[in-house]
Amino acid sequence: MIPNKKSSLADSGQGKKTFIGWFKHKWSNDPLFSILIALIIMVILQTLTLGFDYQSFGEWFQSWSNNWINILRNNAGIGIVALGMTFVIMTGGIDLSVGSTLVITGAFAMYLLDTGAQGILGAVGITGVPAIILTIVLVLVFGYLLGALIGVSITKGMVPPFIATLGAMMIFRSVTQHFAQGYNTKVPVEFLQISSFKIGNLMIMPIIYWAIIALILYYVSKRTTFGRQIIAVGSNERAAKLSGVNINKVKLRVYALMGLLVSIAAIIQVSRIGSMDFSNAGRGMEMDAIAAAVVGGTNMLGGRGYILGTVYGMLIIAVMNNLLNLFGVPPFLREAFKGVIVIVAVLLQRKEKTA
Amino acid sequence: MEFLKLVIKNEFTLKSLGDYMKIEMKNIRKSFGNNDVLKDVTLSVQGGEICALLGENGAGKSTLMNILGGVLPTDLGTILIDEKEVKFETPADSQEAGIAFIHQELNLINDLPIYENMFLGRERKTKRGSLDLKQMYNKTAEIFDQMNVNLDPGKMVRDLDASYKQIVEICRAMMMNASIIIMDEPTTSLTDTEIERVFEMVRTLKENNVGIIFISHKLNEVKEICNKYIVLRDGNLISNGDVNNVTKKDLASYMVGFDVRTESLRRESSDEKVGKEVLRVEGLTDNRHFRDIHFTIRAGEIVGITGLLGDGRSELFQAIFGADHYNSGKILLEGQEVTIKSTSQAIKKGIAYLPRNRKENAILKDMDIIENASIVTWSMFSKRGVINTSRHQKLFEEQRDSLRIKMGEMTDSITSLSGGNQQKVVLSKWLAANPKVLILDNPTQGVDVGAKEDIYDIILKLAEENIAIVVLSSEAQEITRVCDRALVMYHGVIQGEVCDEMMNEQTIMNLATGGEIGEEKGVHQL
Repeated sequence: MIPNKKSSLADSGQGKKTFIGWFKHKWSNDPLFSILIALIIMVILQTLTLGFDYQSFGEWFQSWSNNWINILRNNAGIGIVALGMTFVIMTGGIDLSVGSTLVITGAFAMYLLDTGAQGILGAVGITGVPAIILTIVLVLVFGYLLGALIGVSITKGMVPPFIATLGAMMIFRSVTQHFAQGYNTKVPVEFLQISSFKIGNLMIMPIIYWAIIALILYYVSKRTTFGRQIIAVGSNERAAKLSGVNINKVKLRVYALMGLLVSIAAIIQVSRIGSMDFSNAGRGMEMDAIAAAVVGGTNMLGGRGYILGTVYGMLIIAVMNNLLNLFGVPPFLREAFKGVIVIVAVLLQRKEKTA
Repeated sequence: MEFLKLVIKNEFTLKSLGDYMKIEMKNIRKSFGNNDVLKDVTLSVQGGEICALLGENGAGKSTLMNILGGVLPTDLGTILIDEKEVKFETPADSQEAGIAFIHQELNLINDLPIYENMFLGRERKTKRGSLDLKQMYNKTAEIFDQMNVNLDPGKMVRDLDASYKQIVEICRAMMMNASIIIMDEPTTSLTDTEIERVFEMVRTLKENNVGIIFISHKLNEVKEICNKYIVLRDGNLISNGDVNNVTKKDLASYMVGFDVRTESLRRESSDEKVGKEVLRVEGLTDNRHFRDIHFTIRAGEIVGITGLLGDGRSELFQAIFGADHYNSGKILLEGQEVTIKSTSQAIKKGIAYLPRNRKENAILKDMDIIENASIVTWSMFSKRGVINTSRHQKLFEEQRDSLRIKMGEMTDSITSLSGGNQQKVVLSKWLAANPKVLILDNPTQGVDVGAKEDIYDIILKLAEENIAIVVLSSEAQEITRVCDRALVMYHGVIQGEVCDEMMNEQTIMNLATGGEIGEEKGVHQL
């Protein structure tokens, strides 16, 4: 027994000793490794394009990091949504309604906050910081409930996720556009601090939110009953049910969580710009979120997905957008590159053996 | 080559059933990396022979058949057809040479009628390019006629039972002029009557000079229908010869490498430590699958539930487990009436259910061994929703040893295990939950002989530990070997209860087909 163990240890040690051995081992065993390599390659490319320079390293670093903060901040909202989308896809579902949920929760936030005549909280006499805190809570609850509503129609109503969320996508935006037409809101300046508060001269609050949520969800997916049940449901729904997993509860919570995350993204967006274009905001957001999840190794059939992978996936798409910008690729062509990246990412991913 | 041309030309003209053909695989070797899967295996089959290919999971049967089917190339060795060497590079080569491979998972499309399935991938077209449905229909009818199959070619495949699906596949193989048919565990999901139907077909084929390679774990069937056998173990050819010269016991010991018991494990009535009543069911009805079910199960008992396909036993116990609905009736646990609306409730109340069809109902293929072994207890052991990994690992380590699970690391994929070990992992997740009632639905489905005996031992041991055990099985032999008593179901009702010397295969079969206990005695008296 013991000598056996030793020899096997020595074997695996030899395999990993050389860099190539280690690389090969990682490549074939760690599903996130190839995604990380792709990201690193793109970052190197981007760095080279920005004109890396030894002589004026300080200056170069300044512009490089500024560029990065811009990329991350611009993608924080959608990055958060993509994390929720990863969970949804892992259960074997999909959520097309995220863009519209963003708009309806954003509109709700603005109605609550408006310092003008129509502001709901202002009308009942709540202003200042309490109003902002109350708004945040109410918007998060609203987002959670909208998600739960979709979840109920999927679990109790047995509507396929694609249809349920397609319907919600149409309803939410249309309702928002109707009730908010010709409506100009004035969001209080204090609210804008949520996104624009500066830490040491850096406007990185959205990035921090994204990072914190990613960390929490990473932990949830790896260590909690809920996180593992998501995978169990997506991997084999029937087996999960017969193992005592309440699959309806898991699904309901996944869609509710998705709604909650979208409402966070809405708060970030509203507090960044101070307004929201109800007809265009969040359009195509669902596709970007799905793309990030898929590039990050999430299986569209459910059962497999990685929070960390989705962060990588989001970054790959973001850096690529940045690169296309730097290379001066015409705007209409950029979507095509995104499409190519998504397809190539799935092509490169390890295929399940069909033995 | 001339022979091949002939086959292609005659692809759809079935003049006489089966052309005589002899196939030999000589000194076949195959390895994947450092893993030698086949070491010098030789096999020969000719028309009119039924050769059993036996071996435990992982013995190399599938690899050998995949080589014959053109799916895998051989490393060394030759394949001869009628003394001429052939090379199969693709499955199509093998098919053209007259070899048909009927896989365990049937290659039929449920949503198409039989006749379209018969021509799948080689559809007949009219001159204008549309499907020539009429011709396909007639051709299928013609073949059914020749093969003595009484089936309407226009029927949807979805509406066929498993045996007829098997038969449609065989007919399709015959239509493509197969001379040798490989059947991979054709009877695993069939009931006894269905098996008989397939066997009849197999006998017809044999009479018509078709050669058959029959892969099976069921030695009864091998003895019944095969005339040759070959046993593989760890890629070696262990034994081959005439089936009439060996006993089932011999075959089993060739397969596992040591002597296997075949004797009854049934406990003497006096040995049973019959405890208090654990589960009582009164008048349970769902109006679809089962009606007016009454029974009582006590702690430490092993009760078998058997019957033919469609008897409703799985549905009944899934309803008791909360995975399905029932309309009326009562379930009492330890004397207290309970309503169980979900599987998680059932688990909390001490009911465990190991489902049939492991792959569809129990295995989480994206998860590792320890997760598959702990899913039931995740929420039970967790603190504030965080999984208690160390407790699960500790518990599973104990079970790995006591259930004798052969495995590598706990974090390996569940699919890296053999069928028997997968089943033990699934069993271990239920034992972790400490059940009072353990329902085992086809517990030995798709596991090899060695693991099967292990599972029987586990069942007996658990009964000693005062767990009430229900074994659902369609194999009467399994019921009579391990259970203390058995309930036999027929079309959704309990047709009768048997115990002691009345619990034998004949009585069970009689009840399962709708007979009464008394009737059978009458037959004996005649």
